[in-house]
Amino acid sequence: MSSIAIAVRLKAPDPAAATALSTMKRISPEETPDLLQRYDYWEFTGIECTENTVREIVEHFDDIVNPNKQSWSFTPSGGLPADDGDHTSAGVLVTDREDSISENWTAILKRRGFPVEKVMHSVLWIFGFSREISCTRLKSIVAGQAVTSRRDAGLLANPVSQTVRLILEEQAGDLLNR
Amino acid sequence: MARGGAGMSTPLVAVIQFPGSNCEYETKAVIDASGMQGRIFRWNQWRELNDASPDAFILPGGFSFQDRVRAGAVGAKERIMDFVVERAGDGLPVLGICNGAQILVESGLVPGWTSGSVQAGLASNHIEGRSGYLSRWTFLKVSDHAQLVSPWLSYLSGKVVPVPIAHAEGRFVFFPGDAGRIADCSALVYCDENGEESPDYPINPNGSTENLAGIMNPAGNVLAMMPHPERAFWLWQVPIRTPGEWGDRRISANHSTAISISRGPGELFFRGLAESLAVTASEET
Repeated sequence: MSSIAIAVRLKAPDPAAATALSTMKRISPEETPDLLQRYDYWEFTGIECTENTVREIVEHFDDIVNPNKQSWSFTPSGGLPADDGDHTSAGVLVTDREDSISENWTAILKRRGFPVEKVMHSVLWIFGFSREISCTRLKSIVAGQAVTSRRDAGLLANPVSQTVRLILEEQAGDLLNR
Repeated sequence: MARGGAGMSTPLVAVIQFPGSNCEYETKAVIDASGMQGRIFRWNQWRELNDASPDAFILPGGFSFQDRVRAGAVGAKERIMDFVVERAGDGLPVLGICNGAQILVESGLVPGWTSGSVQAGLASNHIEGRSGYLSRWTFLKVSDHAQLVSPWLSYLSGKVVPVPIAHAEGRFVFFPGDAGRIADCSALVYCDENGEESPDYPINPNGSTENLAGIMNPAGNVLAMMPHPERAFWLWQVPIRTPGEWGDRRISANHSTAISISRGPGELFFRGLAESLAVTASEET
């Protein structure tokens, strides 16, 4: 079974990412990245699922990628999309524990004859740091902003309804899976 | 300091308007129609809110901050919520309707088992064969414990009321380890017109845990509910084909001039609050 992942982002500045970054600055000004990007992250899994399969899906369904306003790229499964700058990056992958978007797309693609057994939709947040930052510090900032434990702590995921996966370069692990 | 401004005798209910709220005016209107004074405060008017010292708070429905990041997540972190959280801790009534409920959940005000901690989620609708945004009428009944402690629910005792929903993320979820105490926070549950519960669509319209339509904090003064009582305040708002008592009332009133002023099932929520605040005021005097 192989998994092919793509990351989809707006060509224009993403308002959700802008709001998230300004909210982080307000609740914890010392714990914010210099840059925050938001991607829709799709992972397609199937025995015969290849990059060509996914390319065909993307070209066929503009609900997944609307070429007028979105760009996309293949991404290492469980990894980060290619960096477009000089930032040190880390990612937070947020997935609903029960997700009808993923279930519906799995059903649609199977029905349409694509060799896909499972579709998983997530939101991938990329934290960018232009300053020198230690791995420990980076991990602390990303982990702190990833999970909403209290009203004044964390933002990107509600741990009750969502799972969070922290992605560092060359390193991935479950941040939270209660 | 006297609540409700400078010794006002009419209870003041603050309606908090976030960028993207879209039910604040009809919410204020039904507060006024219930004999209280509704006043809309924008999210950045926390000083004005503090000065006005309201007797109760309502977070209305809508799409605060365009549901960016996650419904209610950004609104919960606004400074005005500091004041709402503080006053909720003092025991003042707080109601979150739909997006307001999402903000209360993300604020940790409900279920509120551990003060300030986020212990519930309002996840996307998820039920066999149905997903996404859903707008329809549902039936609700109040939990036994809630009708005794919640100022919003005292008039719903033993009643089944039709109230509409309109949401994409309305499924109450909890950590598996909290399953044993969900009943403690249960305030409103979805049911059919006879009061029978079912986890299946359409009685439970979104797959909510334990058929929950609303949950409250342990003290009962904070209620987060997904259905919109302000959209069922007047009898004419109830669809004429609604089964049960309220549909019968609607049909009976259909050709009466009184239908324009006849109260609907949603009014019971606000009548309970008005009575609660009047009692509080008389005790203070």
